[in-house]
Amino acid sequence: MKQSKAEWILTKPDQFTHRHRIFINNPVMMQGMGLAPLVVLATSGKNALMLAVAAALLLTPSRLLACLLSKPLPLSEHGGSDELENRLLFRGLIYCLSAAVVYLAVYPLLEGWFGTDLLTLGIYLPLLTVEPLLIYRFGRVQEPPRKALVKGLRTTAGYALVLLLVGCVRELLAYGTVFGFQAADFAPLPVAALPAGGFILLGVLCAVWRALVRKYKDFLVAEARNQVLANHQKEANREG
Amino acid sequence: MNEVMETVGIFFGYAVLALFAQNAIFTRALGVSRLVQLTGDNRTSSLLFGVLLCVTQVLLAPLAWYLGGLAGRLGLGASARPLVYVGCIALVCLAEHLVLQLTNLPRKDQLLRILPLAALNSCVLGTVLITRTQAFTLTQSVGFGLGSGLGYILAVMLVTEAQTRLSNSQTIPSAFRGLPILLIYIGILALAIYGFTGHTVIL
Repeated sequence: MKQSKAEWILTKPDQFTHRHRIFINNPVMMQGMGLAPLVVLATSGKNALMLAVAAALLLTPSRLLACLLSKPLPLSEHGGSDELENRLLFRGLIYCLSAAVVYLAVYPLLEGWFGTDLLTLGIYLPLLTVEPLLIYRFGRVQEPPRKALVKGLRTTAGYALVLLLVGCVRELLAYGTVFGFQAADFAPLPVAALPAGGFILLGVLCAVWRALVRKYKDFLVAEARNQVLANHQKEANREG
Repeated sequence: MNEVMETVGIFFGYAVLALFAQNAIFTRALGVSRLVQLTGDNRTSSLLFGVLLCVTQVLLAPLAWYLGGLAGRLGLGASARPLVYVGCIALVCLAEHLVLQLTNLPRKDQLLRILPLAALNSCVLGTVLITRTQAFTLTQSVGFGLGSGLGYILAVMLVTEAQTRLSNSQTIPSAFRGLPILLIYIGILALAIYGFTGHTVIL
């Protein structure tokens, strides 16, 4: 571990963890975003893959477009209640309408790739346009376009990872298959295919994920502390 | 007279259907991300949030029914559906915003802050998309919109109450505290609803 990274972990742990949208600060497992499609539709690897592709095509472009369009109505870090009352709704509408405009271009692509299978996503595909995962930035401080692009890509990767994980686990438990291939002779938990099973399974996965994150954070802090101590020791030896 | 009674019956029938058997949260997980965020947000009143969402649903239902039908007749395909319905939500939101600005309702500031969170929600868009895909009539759409909004309020109150009790419980393992136990709780409530109604999600 580099000295600068070690110091960063020790001095600004929140800032460090906030950037890691794939594991440490996953949008689903840590913040509960994008739950509706995950709970109802991610019942198989194939469904999860279609949702992941749709989210990948929608999330970053719509975030970037909304970021550019909402520039005249920025929210500042210490803005008062007047700023929120006057701007929040308009920013929200900009973010949702941007996602709906991007959806116009994305839908034919998805239809071309997945054909009639896309119909299995039902209302949950258009619903992505108002998912907090895509539009949550409307209530936050205005971000520059480059940051919107980078964070959009990271969030997409984190969401796609969880979608595929949940989709495969639920397919295995509910049907004994993974991506349609037989993996077990029986279906151990058929209720996993229902939304109720989705909630319960996601709750359990979320608990495991959070426990792993806690362990990993402790490990990182210990590593960073050791690194800083070792470097101080080296400097002291050199001076001595 | 019979026609009026029949219309009233259909209206309340669909409202009850959306409230219990097809509850937005427990059977379709609509708006569940916002619900989870709401339970951890002490600044936002869950009840006001639910009421605003319900009012938006009821006002939106006839507008979305009319404009959705018009878009269908004009040949706008599935790709334009979110744009049409988000546009309808925008019109309703702006009207509500204007009314809140012009009147002097108690807790006006909080209402203005909550309005975008309540209206730009997958429960609101999801409900109008269901009424469209299932080709509901105007009466059925408005009844379903009202029931869906009331169902969301019911879910918000149940989950907020549970969150308060669960967050103080020391018997829950630390890894399960917060979001995980809340998801499991919603799942168990959803299972209880299936016990009464059975379960098939019509997408």
